[in-house]
Amino acid sequence: MFEPAAPVDLSSGKYLKLWQGPQHPGITGNMSLELTTCGDEVVACKTHVGYLHRGFEKLMERRTFIQNFTIVCRIAVPEPTFNEYLYAAVVEELSGIKAPERAEWIRTFNLELMRLGSYLMWLGGVGAAFGQSTIYQWTVTHRDYILDLFEEMTGARVYHMYIVPGGVRGRLPEGFEDRARKVLDGVERLLMDVEKILFNNVVFKTRTKGLGVITKDMVDPYGITGPNQRAAGFARDVRRDSPYLMYDEVEWDVITGTASDTYERAWVRLQEMHQGIRIMRQVLDRMPTGGPFQTPLPNVLHWEVPKGETYIKAECTRGEYGYYLVTDGSQYVRRVHVRGPSYTHAIALMEKMAVGTNIADIAGLMVSLHTYPPEIER
Amino acid sequence: MSLKDLISPFYVWQRAFQKPYTQKRPIEERPGAPRYRGFHINLTEECVGCGSCEAICQNHAIDMVKVEGLEPRNGDSGLRPKFDYGRCCWCALCVDICTARSLRLSNHYAWVTEDPDAFHFIAGTDAMPWNQNSLGYRRDDDYHLLTHDRIEMDALSPEESLKGFDEVMKGYTEEQALLEADRCVECGICVATCPAHMSVPDYIKAVRNKDWEGGLKLLYETNPFSTTCGRICTHRCETDCVLGLQGTPIAIRWLKRAIADRVPAERYAEILNDTFTENGKKVAIVGAGPGGMSAAYYLRKQGYGVTVFEAQAHGGGMLRYGVPSYRLPENQLDKDIDYIRSLGVDVRFNTRVGQDVPFSELMDNHDAIFIATGLSSPMKLRIDGEEHPRVVSGLKILDDVAKGQDPGVGKRVAVIGGGNVAMDAARVSRRVGADVTVLYRRRIEDMPADPEEIHESKAEGCHLVPQAIPVKIKDADDPNQVVIVWGEAEMVSDAKGGRPRPVLQEDRMHEETYDTIVSAIGQGGDYDFMGECLGSIEQKWGKFIPGAYQQTGVSKIFVGGDIANSTADAISAVEDGHHAARGIHRFLSEEGLQ
Amino acid sequence: MATPTALLDELGKRYTLSEIHIQRDDLLFLKVTKPQAVRFLKDLRDDAGYTHLTFMTNIDYIEDGRFTLTYMLHNYDTHHEIGVHVDLDRDNAEMDSIHNLWAQGRTYQCELREMYGIRFPGSPGLDDDFCLEGWDQIPPMRKEFDIVAFSEERFGNRPGRGSTDPREHMGTVMYPEHRDGTEH
Repeated sequence: MFEPAAPVDLSSGKYLKLWQGPQHPGITGNMSLELTTCGDEVVACKTHVGYLHRGFEKLMERRTFIQNFTIVCRIAVPEPTFNEYLYAAVVEELSGIKAPERAEWIRTFNLELMRLGSYLMWLGGVGAAFGQSTIYQWTVTHRDYILDLFEEMTGARVYHMYIVPGGVRGRLPEGFEDRARKVLDGVERLLMDVEKILFNNVVFKTRTKGLGVITKDMVDPYGITGPNQRAAGFARDVRRDSPYLMYDEVEWDVITGTASDTYERAWVRLQEMHQGIRIMRQVLDRMPTGGPFQTPLPNVLHWEVPKGETYIKAECTRGEYGYYLVTDGSQYVRRVHVRGPSYTHAIALMEKMAVGTNIADIAGLMVSLHTYPPEIER
Repeated sequence: MSLKDLISPFYVWQRAFQKPYTQKRPIEERPGAPRYRGFHINLTEECVGCGSCEAICQNHAIDMVKVEGLEPRNGDSGLRPKFDYGRCCWCALCVDICTARSLRLSNHYAWVTEDPDAFHFIAGTDAMPWNQNSLGYRRDDDYHLLTHDRIEMDALSPEESLKGFDEVMKGYTEEQALLEADRCVECGICVATCPAHMSVPDYIKAVRNKDWEGGLKLLYETNPFSTTCGRICTHRCETDCVLGLQGTPIAIRWLKRAIADRVPAERYAEILNDTFTENGKKVAIVGAGPGGMSAAYYLRKQGYGVTVFEAQAHGGGMLRYGVPSYRLPENQLDKDIDYIRSLGVDVRFNTRVGQDVPFSELMDNHDAIFIATGLSSPMKLRIDGEEHPRVVSGLKILDDVAKGQDPGVGKRVAVIGGGNVAMDAARVSRRVGADVTVLYRRRIEDMPADPEEIHESKAEGCHLVPQAIPVKIKDADDPNQVVIVWGEAEMVSDAKGGRPRPVLQEDRMHEETYDTIVSAIGQGGDYDFMGECLGSIEQKWGKFIPGAYQQTGVSKIFVGGDIANSTADAISAVEDGHHAARGIHRFLSEEGLQ
Repeated sequence: MATPTALLDELGKRYTLSEIHIQRDDLLFLKVTKPQAVRFLKDLRDDAGYTHLTFMTNIDYIEDGRFTLTYMLHNYDTHHEIGVHVDLDRDNAEMDSIHNLWAQGRTYQCELREMYGIRFPGSPGLDDDFCLEGWDQIPPMRKEFDIVAFSEERFGNRPGRGSTDPREHMGTVMYPEHRDGTEH
């Protein structure tokens, strides 16, 4: 399974050590790749993480259950809401609280909007990694419109702190639905443009087809999930296989590919953005506008969650995101483990796939795996 | 490679003609969203300094600090939150938990300054450019981190309660007590308001932990009448409970009862473990009410030989003879008193000082004396016809009932007054089958009686007539009846800013016939037994004005209870007794009092 | 595909399983002994369809002197998850490596070595730095590592900080004579 890299004699002059990162090696956050190259071919890769290590799991062990909900968003910067939802879900399950239906709809919308925002940022990254910075300008702009929506919904653009155990922190603002539809329409038009100039671009196609192939038999040993896995032909999606929130109430398709190379992974994600827009439109149509959006909590200042343990997962843009919570009946968590998909994608898988790649494609390869270091280091 | 793939990218050019997205800062301002979580604003006037914001802050970004010109007072600690923006993450949990709802965030989000200390500021007090911002994050009305509604206590229905003298309020079940105790934010602001300064947050915490024994110990640190006060306390603490700012205050009184009710009397000695060595000094106490017995308890705990002189056959004073058993069953009162007596406090019942034993004997044979005789002389109505035989005092009726006698009020009763004695006299009369009308000079909200008493007496069918001023009492045709003349009153606001004054409207007079008129407008004290000592003790409006530690001008005489405080309730008497015990100990151990 | 209950019956014949806890229809936890653990995981993977190692982590029960490892396995066909617990001696924590079963196993094991001090003999790159380059303290995820003390010593507090307790403040100012020192 694990194949140690062949020993490389640097003094031979044949090889060069090259550091990619840790300064944002292509919209992936701070991590670095220690590449050993021969000519412009990578012969060995070692990943280094820890540049964003803030010890969240440890910090959470000395914060109360309500306090924790404000820090989990930082575990995946571009997708804070998945952390908020999953943290709320594990705490709710262990304390026997069920969020009201209205909150579940709002959460569904929130998560899908975040998925779209995060994909837009990633899409820009793909463009940039393959020399198409214009796309980055466009997608980040539209992501900003999404952040505007988050700002008016949650009070913050990035660290929303909106999904609280028991429900959500506030109703949707007046006229929010209309503005949301407008943003979705805009993104839809943008995606068509991007398809024309990126996916139908000969340069992009040439560079990405066949780059970084994930074969079917790599999926299980490397713990590959999400679009990276679906692009290899597995129709596996947590939203479909273990439905949560309102996902079994709305219609959408699980997008799959055949040969998970960089192009196909990008294409799957592009299609998933369209599916996300489809889901959100249905949510906007069906979301109740009245009723409670929060189930009363015990007094949060001395909230004790009964002893127990659980694991809940959700499908984020990068794959399976999960929270494993162990409680001991006190006001503090005994252990919380955050399972981010990047953990497997960015380290073991990246180290394998980098070998044999051209140096110029390393950034694109990394982006195509769509990883965020903060969720590795937690 | 297809031709399409070569041409398609050139589509990008069409975007060159579109309007740019970028905003031209600083020419164009970009305000935060209406709900934006920007910089803090605190409405200093509404904030009560409970410190819940500090307690919930996950980053330790908040300190509660003294603010110049803001002194602590009942219901307001005088402290205000100071924010350290080096730590704050603008999660706004402090806003969500704010009990006064005074804390909020503005939608102001940009702040540049060269002075790093500027980022450490008292919100609302320090002048900040965003203090007047009307937008920003507020807690949604339908989103709560605290339970604002009290857990209701089960009670007898009015129909059931009218049938007899069974206790009306049933007490919290364990589940109810835990839920109610859970609401507490542990700020401790109530502690200052409580006359006895009981450790409220601590004993509420004991309830949460189902630690009834630990709770009882906490109660006895400041109040040996916990079973009693858990039922009939005037609960001033609840007036200042911060949970009351947006909902109903914590039922502090009921939680006290929840503890005391769960510990059987037999276990008190073992749990409280009040051990002491005799110090050989003797203290006499006049009156076995809450004041006297409280002093007895705390003195005894310090080894004093304590003798209590009580004119009545049982202890408890006004608690026994002035509070009907449907509010305070006698066995519950006995539970408190018996424990104090079990420590070796000698209570001489049926012994009226000045009559059965001379005051001089107390003075000669004891190192100190504590007087807490209470107010037992009903005040006069001061209207014509008051001496009519069908006019009786409220206290007399309550006394009769407490002693198991029929008060003989007949079928139609008018009660004059708006205090607890008036309410109790009315409710007792209802229980013996009378129609009851309560006449009160001012408005219902001005009534000094507990709101619960007012509510329950209404529920039990007492007819409350506010703004009714008695003018005259005269004979009825039937010698067993009596006629009262009363007039309606208008409330006139007081020019000096005092409370509104009722003014009789001579053109709206009423005349009604009743079997009994109950006068219950207050009580006075009787101090004749003290003889010549009286001259050295300061008095005002019929009450003593004690100095520090309840000491009087006669250095070995200490006074307390209704005769020496303006509140005239059980909890104040308890604290007077406790405080006098502190004073007597200082006096006798030469720790400062002369 | 066997139901979780049938599967447990079957595995129970060959393994010492304890503390079986069904949290949800699609999630159960159980404990297996340390010597049997890796073989047990391999059987789950190869014979029972639990091919996906969702994560691997450790829980510190300092008061019992034990660590409890959790291996979370997922079955893609039944969408069922099993959390496998293994108790380790906290003072001498060592566990067999699973890097031959799942490629990412070595990453987890490297992290657990760094964060908790658990040894996994044979795991490649076990002693490489994971997050904590230049760390000179005890493994920081262990419960006895006090992050507050660490940060105060390392960074100190901002001058001028300090809070006043409302209840204490009110007592001192409003009723100093009435306090017996029994205040809490």
